[in-house]
Formats: sequence, C-alpha cells, structure tokens
Amino acid sequence: MTASLIVPPPIVPPRHATCPTPLTLARAGLDSCVHCGFCLQACPTYLALADENDSPRGRLVLMRAVVEGTVALDDPDVATHLSRCLGCRGCESACPSGVPYGHLLEKARETLAALRPLPVQARVILWAFARPALLRVALWFGRMARDSGIAAELARLPGALGFPFAMLASTVRDATPAWTPRTTPTRARVATLDGCVMEGLFTEVNRATERVLCENGYDLCRTPGQQCCGALHVHAGDAATARRLAKANIVAFEAVDAEYIAVNSAGCGAMMKDYGHLLADEPEWRHRAAALSARVRDASELLADAGPRVGAPLARRITYDAPCHLEHAQRITTPPLQLLAAIPSLEHVPLTDREQCCGSAGIFNLIEPDVSQRVLGAKLEQIAATGAPVVATGNPGCLMHIGAGLLLAGSGATARHPIELLDESYARRER
Amino acid sequence: MTLADTLRAIVGETHVLVRPAELIVYESDGLPGYHRRPSLAVFPADADEALRVVRALAAEGVSFVPRGAGTGLSGGALADGTVLLGLQRMRKILEIDPVRRVARVEPGVVNVSLTKAAAPFSLHYAPDPSSQTACTLGGNLAENAGGPHCLKYGVTLNHVVGAVVALPDGEVVTLGDPHGTGDAAGYDLLGAFVGSEGCFGVALELTVKLTPNPERVVTLLADFTSINDAAETVSAIIAAGVLPAALEMMDQATIGAVESSIYAAGYPTDAAAILLVEVDGAAAGLDDDVQAVDRLCRAHGARDVRIATEPAARAKLWQGRKKAFGAMGRLAPHLVVQDAVVPRTKLTALLAQIAEIGGRHRVRVCNVFHAGDGNLHPNIAYDAGDADESARVHLAMKEIMQACIDAGGTITGEHGVGLDKLAYMDSLFTADTLDAMCRLRDVFDPERRANPGKVVPVRFCREQRPHKSAG
Amino acid sequence: MHHPTSTADLTALIRDAAARAQPLRLVARGTWLNGGAPVSTTAEPVHLDAFSGIIEYEPGDLTITVGAATTLAELEAVTAAHHQWCPLAPWGGDAGSVGATVATATAGPFAHALGLPRDLVLGLEYVDGTGKVLRPGGKVVKNVAGFDLTRLLTGSWGTLGAITRVSLRLRAHPATVETWAVAIDEAHAGDIVRGLRRSATPPDACEALDATLAVQLGLGAQSQLLVRLAGNAAFVAAARADLHSRGAAVAADASLWMRLREAPRAAVARAAMSPGVRALNDRVKRTFDPANILNPGIMG
Repeated sequence: MTASLIVPPPIVPPRHATCPTPLTLARAGLDSCVHCGFCLQACPTYLALADENDSPRGRLVLMRAVVEGTVALDDPDVATHLSRCLGCRGCESACPSGVPYGHLLEKARETLAALRPLPVQARVILWAFARPALLRVALWFGRMARDSGIAAELARLPGALGFPFAMLASTVRDATPAWTPRTTPTRARVATLDGCVMEGLFTEVNRATERVLCENGYDLCRTPGQQCCGALHVHAGDAATARRLAKANIVAFEAVDAEYIAVNSAGCGAMMKDYGHLLADEPEWRHRAAALSARVRDASELLADAGPRVGAPLARRITYDAPCHLEHAQRITTPPLQLLAAIPSLEHVPLTDREQCCGSAGIFNLIEPDVSQRVLGAKLEQIAATGAPVVATGNPGCLMHIGAGLLLAGSGATARHPIELLDESYARRER
Repeated sequence: MTLADTLRAIVGETHVLVRPAELIVYESDGLPGYHRRPSLAVFPADADEALRVVRALAAEGVSFVPRGAGTGLSGGALADGTVLLGLQRMRKILEIDPVRRVARVEPGVVNVSLTKAAAPFSLHYAPDPSSQTACTLGGNLAENAGGPHCLKYGVTLNHVVGAVVALPDGEVVTLGDPHGTGDAAGYDLLGAFVGSEGCFGVALELTVKLTPNPERVVTLLADFTSINDAAETVSAIIAAGVLPAALEMMDQATIGAVESSIYAAGYPTDAAAILLVEVDGAAAGLDDDVQAVDRLCRAHGARDVRIATEPAARAKLWQGRKKAFGAMGRLAPHLVVQDAVVPRTKLTALLAQIAEIGGRHRVRVCNVFHAGDGNLHPNIAYDAGDADESARVHLAMKEIMQACIDAGGTITGEHGVGLDKLAYMDSLFTADTLDAMCRLRDVFDPERRANPGKVVPVRFCREQRPHKSAG
Repeated sequence: MHHPTSTADLTALIRDAAARAQPLRLVARGTWLNGGAPVSTTAEPVHLDAFSGIIEYEPGDLTITVGAATTLAELEAVTAAHHQWCPLAPWGGDAGSVGATVATATAGPFAHALGLPRDLVLGLEYVDGTGKVLRPGGKVVKNVAGFDLTRLLTGSWGTLGAITRVSLRLRAHPATVETWAVAIDEAHAGDIVRGLRRSATPPDACEALDATLAVQLGLGAQSQLLVRLAGNAAFVAAARADLHSRGAAVAADASLWMRLREAPRAAVARAAMSPGVRALNDRVKRTFDPANILNPGIMG
C-alpha cells in the first residue's frame, strides 16, 4: 500500500510567488473550495454552456492555477472563462464551504485587468459612470431617445446592435398618478441613494420609493455629493476607481444625519454593503467604510420592517424574479415578497428558478452578449410559463435586461420594480 | 486527422477540450486530493453523438473515462492521460410515465431534477445522495449511489429497471427490463452493471422507478451528550421494528462545522452527537412510530428531541446534514472522506476506536453518517502542505479502515472504490475474488479501455493487456 | 454421486470434472430439480447439503449468514425466535434451500413490497466453474466494493458456480399482521391489486387467486384476493378499513400464505434475449465455467 493512494498529494507550491497580486492575497478564500460541485447547478453560465470551465468550480480552479503559477496569467483561456462569469453569486448561496466567490472574482478580474483591457464600449461606460456631470448628460440623451420613440425604433436593429436600445425603450413609464403620503414620520430617518441609472432612467421609481417609504413612516432626507456606487467598476476589475467612488460616497453620507441609507437598486446596495471589504486595506478608511456599510438597507428591507402598510386592491397576476445582488449577494429573500403581499388581490405566480440570474449582470450583457442572451432566453421561458403580464424585480440592470427581452419577444409583458406596484396600490387608495 | 478532429466532427468544435488550462478542472472529481490530467475531454449532446464518440475511441483503441457532474468521492472519474467522456450535456428527461411509475432519462440528468419533474405526479426518485442537487443519474448508476433515505427505500440498484448501454467496443445493448414486459432473460447483467464505476461501458439512457411521495413525513432531531448513547439508540430503533426513512448521525465536530456555515440548521453545538431521524409513509400509524422513536431516544439518554412536521422546518434540519461535507471545507484546506460500513451493532465500539485512533495520531476526525445502515463517513480536514500532518492523516485513515474491515464491514458503502480505495481491496477480498471481478470486467470490456486502473488493483488482473492512450 | 463437505472438496471436485468435461448437476435439498430447462442426462449430481446451518447471526444487525443448503424453514425458525424474518419466502414453500432460492432468484408473495432476492442478498461464497472459491459482497447492508458478482450469481441457476454460503438482509416482525381474503371478479383482478398496492396503506402481500386455487385453499368457489396487512396497530386498522371499502373482506388464516406458496404455479415466461445480450451471456458463461460443466442447459 503506498501513501500516495490515500493521502492527496500536496499542492504544488507557488512558482511566481514573488510578486503578490490581488488574487494571491485572496488565496485563503480559494482554499476553502472542496471541489464538491454543489455550485454547478446554481451557475447560469454552466447551465447554458455545460462546460465546467464556465462554472464556479472551474473558475476557482483557474484562479488557483494562476496563483500557483501552473497556468500563466495571460493564458487566453483564463480570461475567456473569468470574463464569462456573470458575477451573480448564485454559487455562494449553494456553496456549503462559504467560498467568498464574489470577492475572489473581483480580485481575479482586478489582477487580469492589467493584461486584458475590456471591450471599448465597456470602458466608455465605466469611464462615464465615474464622471457624474458627464453621466447626467448621457442619461439625458438617453431619456430623449426613449421618450421620442427613437430608442424603440432602433431596438429593431438586429441582435447586439438593437438590444441596448431595447433596454432603454423598456424603461418607459406611463405617468403615475401623483398621490401624497399621509403619514407623519414615526420611524427612523433615512437617506436615499439616487443611483445613476435609477435616477437617470427610472426617475419615477425613485419618486415612488420615496412616497412609499414616507407612507410607511420613514423620515426622508436628501444627500448631496453622492456618486456612482462603483459596483460596475469593481465587477469589471477596476477596483481603483471603485475605491475613489466609495470614498466620495462615504464622505457624502457621513454628512447626513440619517440612521439608514435606503437603496432601491440591488446591485448598488450590495456594493455599498461591501464598502467595508473594499477598503479593508486602507486603515484611514476601513472603519468609516464599515460604518457606512452598516447603515445600508435595501428599500424592501425597510418596508418589510415597517409592516408594510396594506394598499388598495390591485387585481393583477405577477411573478417575482429575484435580483442576484439581492438574493445571493445580500441574502435578501423574503422582504420583496412581503412587500408584494401588502397588495390585496395581487396574484403572485411563483417563478421557477427565480434565484437564477437573468443574464444582465451589470455590463455583462455588453461584454459577453452571446452568453448573456442564452441565459436570458431561459429566464424568458420561465416568465412566459407563469402567464403573468408583469415580472417584478428590484434592480435596474435586471429591469432593463428582462424588459428588453420581453419587448423584443413581443410578449406584451413588462418588468416592474416591486415598489412601483406597491406605489400604484397606495395611489389607488386615494381615489 | 487527429483524434480531437475526429471527435470535433461528431460533437462540434466547442465541445472538445484539448488545451491544458481548460482541462485542469476535469483533473479531479468531488474528492479534490487527486489530480489526473485527461488527454482531452469530449462532451456529446445526445445518445447518438455519445455512441459515435465511443465507436471512434474503439476504432483508435483509445481508453476513456465516463464522467457526470464530477461529484464522486472516490476519484473514480479521473482520466489519467486518457479521454474524458463528459456526459453533462445529455440532460434530457425523455419520458415520465406516471402510470407505470418509471422515467426514462439521459445519463446527465441531475438527480434532483428528476424529482422536481416528477413532483406534479406526486412521485419522486428515491435515492438521494447528499450531492443530489448536483450529481447525475448516470453517475449514480455507475457508483450505485446511496443516500440518507436508502435505509428504507434502497440504493440505486433497487431503483434502476433498465439501461441502454454502449459497451466499450461500440456495441449497444439494453440491460434489464426497461419496458416492464416480464422477467429479463439470462443473467442479471443490469445488476452487474450498476455500480461498475464506468468500467463496463457508458449508459446512454436509464429507466428508473419513481416512488410515490409519502403521505406524511416527520423529522426528529435528538441530541445526546454521549456519542455512545446516540449509537445505541440507532440499534434500539432498528431492533424495535420501526423502519425510519432515514437515520443519520453527526458528531460534535461536524455539528460545529455545519453551524458555522451558511447552512446553520440550529443544531445544538454543545451536543456530543445528534441523530436525525425521519419517519414517513401513510398518515395512519405514523404518529405511533414517531412516539416510539421519541421514547427510544429519551430512554437512551437524549437530552432533547425536536419534532418537525412542516416542510420548511424539516428542510432546515436536513440542510445541515446534506451540506455537512462541504461545510467541513471550512475547517482546513484539504479533506479526506471515507465511506466504510460496519454491522450496526458494532457502531458504538467503532466510534470509540475511531476516536482513539484520531487522538493517537493527533488528527481531528469528523463523523457524519448514515447510522441506520452502519455506513460511516469519518472525514479528516487537514492541510496537505504540512507533510507531518499528511502522514498522520494517512496512518489514522489506514487504521480506521482496517478497524472497519476487522469488524466485519466493508470499505465503501456508496462512494465506490475508484482510485481512492484501491489500496484496501486486497484487505477485503481474496486474490481469487479480485481476479474474478477482473474477469467479469473482461466480459464487458475485454480490452479494458473503460476507466482503466480503477476498482480492482491491476496486479490482481491476469493477462493485463497494454492499452493505447490518446496522444 | 458427489457429496463434498468443504469448499476444498468442492474445488477439487469441480476441477476434476472440468478436466474431464463432465457435466455436474447441483443439488441442495432437491426440491427444485424440475425447475428450469432439462440438464444434460449425463450430469453427475453434486449434493451440497453439507453446506448447511447458521454461520453467523447477530439479531441487532438484522443480517444473517447461512450455509447455502440451509432450508428456508430453518432460516424462518431461527430468525422468528428473535422476532425477525427474511422476506425471501419464495414460491415453492420452505422445504427448499436458501442457496437454491438465490440461485434461481425465485421471488414470493412479499417480493413486490419487500424486495426480490437480488435486493435481499448481501454477499455470497461460491465455487466457480474453474474451482475458485469466491467471496463477493459482504454481510453489511450497504456495500459497493468491487464489481457485483453477487448480483451476477443471483438468478444464474447454478451455471456460474456452486453457492456455499449466503448473507441476507432480515426484517423485524411487524407489530401487527392480519391476513384477509376478498372475493373478487377475476376479470378485474389486476386493477384491484394495483389499486391496493397504490393505496395510502399498501399491503405487504397481495395475491389474486383464481377459482381453482381458491377452492384448493378452502376459500370457496370464487376468485379471491389474499391480502396481508402489516405494520403498527393504527396503520393496520387504517389498511383494514380501506380494504373493507373495496370489497367484502373475510379474516383468513396466516397459514394460507404457506399453502399458497406451496401450490403449483405456471412457469413465468422469460423475455427473449437480444443478440447483444445473448453474446454477453455466453461470454459470462465461458468466463466463469469455461468447461461448461455446471448445470449445463438449465437456462435454456
């Protein structure tokens, strides 16, 4: 009997240990993977492509190989499979070993970013999101294109050309009836994150969020000086810009006297709750970042805490799709459902695989359009199976991605933020 | 034309992997200590492509290893310089027949997917390995997989009624009686094929039984301050004539690992051991069985017995058990997983012996197991980079396995021999028996090209012919 | 006539017969000799009754290891003393041997609910056609070590080896057992049996008897359903109520099961083998009995 038959051979020591990368520093996280494979079925890209290189287990193996030096950092296969990851973190919910996959992916992309620039359109977007004045102008043009109907026309362009316009067109909203919250504040004071896309393209949803929070007793205040949360940047490997944005937000929100920071965009909320981690290596910022993260709440969490108040009946069939950055990154599962349950007569048809990513994943749909569309296709099939004309989901990326898919499929169904539905229910009560 | 080109012509460009970086993840299965690099990996989409791949490999005389989801725990699906035949794209449920209560599936269908698909008919697929959310039915067939509920419902062997198999030479045979037309004629070749660990060929299609969902299910969690009391309770329950659907045990080390993972199930972390007992079946009389189990647990020193009847509460109690193996990944970078079975009455003595062995070698053994079957899973989390610790782990495991064999047990109850347990085979079986196993393999695969080097140590196989590997 | 008393004897005997190409007819209790297809008339009988008796029985394990020629009656008596039993209970009664039951894979009335012989056999000792003593499987209830020679031998009709020892899975006696007879319309027997087996409280045995058999068993001149309900008292009460709702059930004596098993039965038709499966079967036989001396011809 030989020892090698029973005891696993030792891990090959790192060959290129001389220059630590962000990924080598995260080595302990890689070691917690026991290769059990439980993540496979939770991974939208594995389900779409059926190759383990496009699964969390495969990507962790590639990261480890890079750290150990058995595969070169500039090996094209590494870049291919790591950039195909949606970053939905569905695997984290399935992982019994607690592998910090999202953080590892960020570190890996940060390490890779130096070698492999993102596609031009992705770089332009990230650049713009880091410049508030410029972004406001860009979003103004977006609204013009949308409201004039140009976006809907351009959405007919074939494939990847038309899709971004369909995303834009899907954000159009009918004018909602204005109503006034009738409660005087009885609950905590809350600052709100505007959110670049939320304020730029989902302005009505932001107003609805404010009304609904007020109605449930929260005392709202504005926060000047806030910027993009940095989520898109950190997911794409540009941690430096993300840190700069995070610091600006920390300064801005420290200046307001509010117990909570309400966020109605799951992706932004997840990022801000992670500021403590993002700035963990900067002693002068670490504690301030952690303190800010501790104040962040998804709007649905605050509403669930408050009850929420029951609105007027809304006889409509809907289904709910869980944004990954709510379900997996923030582990918020029931509050959005509690919020929907506060709407009498609303018929909620459960969505099969609701915890699976829709394929949006920030700017993933621009970087990996093919994979993104395959993942979206599965989601649209499940939505169609519910027969619901409305799918509720609390994240701008998901709203636009699913919204565009529904638009292009000509299904007539639309994507709505859950808070829009609650707002509508409250508005009806006024009449 | 290279072999890779031939295979690409069958399955398409993107479904043949040859570059080293893309093959690394296929070097291991669910037991991460072993790494064997395949020469290439090929992923057919359906039975037709799979058969053409097998025939192409036969024509070239190339060895291959079938692989499902790579969740196996014996290193069974590793291809050492040979072709890895991945079946994960073959995931169609071909037919569910609620009248005959059978399903026809492709081998890459994930275990739990079949149960989900059968749910509208109030049926399910009974064998439920802990990896059921990831493992494939083809892999279950190859390993004769078990699971917690096998205590009452039986293992994979008892649930597969037929299989369409591609023999390594490219011949296709239907084993068993998939259509339920009568007794299958001749020898029980299906019985021989189930659990053959990919050494007899590739199942292209399986016909499996579906089991009616029980009318009622109750899960009990009993916690004990003594591991002996827990082990004795196991024997007492079985002896009393109650046949629980599952009877699982976890020791303190495992409870600790689970409770500090995201699957924290609310197990009492100060307990020396917990028993998870599930009683299911007809509503009539079920409460009597539940009370009997409750009484027996308390009579044997249980500190507390929690009873869960609602699906959500039951699922939570189970969740910790089902994810226990992964949760141990938190304890140290590496993990050895064992799968011995001992006679139920020897459980108490064995657990004491395992604790003694672990203590002597200064390694931390976590026990999580199917106690009702006597199927132990002593696992040791350790750091393989530490040569001294590795050596101690090796010695401790060797002694534990020998103790299980000496107690009249076996070296694997459900994980298979694979690569990991080859070294124990000659402690368990005589040389003639091992030789007979090799001869049985030769019936299906005379060239020994399917999963070479697994299950039976090569030295016991006479007339071993050299085989060609893919270059 | 041969009468080996040890595996060493059996090995020598089989090796010698193989060298002479002399066919052998395996016999344990002799109750199954008319089963299967005719064996070569020149075959010399090998009496295996020396391989008899309880070898290892630990009731707490619910497993038992016996000599293959041990009668089913002895198995029943030994286990019943510990409130246990083996659901093999094959058609033909209890005079036959455990080894023959396994070799012929003969099921019985409890097979549907409690398992076929292949589900109940844990391990074997046998001598194959080359004279090798083989011990596949084991005595524990779960075991996947090595290729499954145990399943291969189960139902091989003695053509691959002479079984000398069998380890079996046992069950505890149910707390309550009742036997009932229900008069049925024979035309609907299949539906009624299926309905009962799929009820919430399935019986552990349920056999339709035609009128002739019913008369033989003293159940009157009409077709009958013989049903065994087993479980705890509450379960059996519910099962009984369900049974009564399906027809007029009359309490019957438990001994009817033995009489039913002993009653002659029509042979079960075997499916035809495909050429591929036939080729594999031939290869199995050539591998383990290359001289073709063990019960030649018995599998047709």
